[in-house]
Amino acid sequence: MKIITLWIRRYVTVYGIIMLCTFFMCLLFNPASELPVVTYFGRIMVFTLIALLSLSVYYSKEELTVKAWWVRTVLHLLLLEAVLLPLAHHWGFWQSGSDILIYAGFILLAEALWHLADYGLSAKTAAQINERIRKNRLDQRTRKD
Amino acid sequence: MKVTVEQIDRQCEEEMIVRCHDPGAAWVESVREAASGQRMICGWREDMMRRLKLSEVFYFEVVDDRSFVYTQAEVFEAKEKLYEFERLCAGSALFRCSKSMVLNTEKIDYVRPSLSGRFEAVLSNGEKVVVSRKYVADLKRMLGV
Repeated sequence: MKIITLWIRRYVTVYGIIMLCTFFMCLLFNPASELPVVTYFGRIMVFTLIALLSLSVYYSKEELTVKAWWVRTVLHLLLLEAVLLPLAHHWGFWQSGSDILIYAGFILLAEALWHLADYGLSAKTAAQINERIRKNRLDQRTRKD
Repeated sequence: MKVTVEQIDRQCEEEMIVRCHDPGAAWVESVREAASGQRMICGWREDMMRRLKLSEVFYFEVVDDRSFVYTQAEVFEAKEKLYEFERLCAGSALFRCSKSMVLNTEKIDYVRPSLSGRFEAVLSNGEKVVVSRKYVADLKRMLGV
C-alpha cells in the first residue's frame, strides 16, 4: 500500500512539473495557441507515464555508488530527451529549430527541479531525525545524572 | 532436564551454574545471553573468536558474500548471513539501513541528506555509512519520529 501511495504521489508531482513546463512554454512562445483540454491533459498523462517508466534506469540489485547514481542520472536525462522530444514534436508542442532547444531546456529544468524537490524533502527528514537523536541523547544524560 | 533454583541471602553474589554435556549447545548460549541480559554475536579475527554484545556493534555489513561486524575501532568476520543477523537484532536498536547493512541507531551522531536521494549517517566514531531511502522510514519509526 505504501509503495502504491508513493508512486501515486510521484505521478502527481511529475504531472504537475510537466504541466507547468508545458504551460509556460506555450505562454512564452505561443500564447495564441489553443489546446483542447481533454487531449492536452491526456497527453500530459502519457508524458508523465513515460517519465516515471524511465526511472527504471535507476533499478539495481546492488546499492548504487554516488558515481553510478550520477551516470544513471545523465542516462535518465538523455532517455527523457530522446523519447519526449520526438513525441512532443509529433503532438505539435514544438515546431522550429529554436523551439527544440527551449523544449530540451525545459526537460532539463524539470529533471533538476525533481532532484531539488527530492533533496529538500530529504533535508527535512534528516532535520527531524537529528532533532530526535539530540532529544534521545539529552534524555539518556538526564537519566544517568 | 532438572532445574534447580536456590534462594540466597542479599549479601551473596547471584550466580548461575550450568551443568551440561555440550558447553556450545544452543540452549547454553541462550542461558548465557539471558544471564548477561544481552544478545551476543561471535566475531572472528585472526583465528580468535570474540563474543560481542549487540550494544557494542556499530554496524554489520555483507561484502562479497562475507559478513563483517564493525565495532568502535575493530572489524570482525561473522558467520551469520544478513537475514540471520537481522533476525537476531529484532527488537533491538539495530535496523536494516541498506541492501547489505544493518546499523545501530544508538551509534548515529547525525544524518545528512545527499543529492542521490540517500542519507549519510555519521557515526560516533566518525565513520560514514549510507542509509537507503527505502529504510529511512524504519529509522524514523525506531527513533520515534
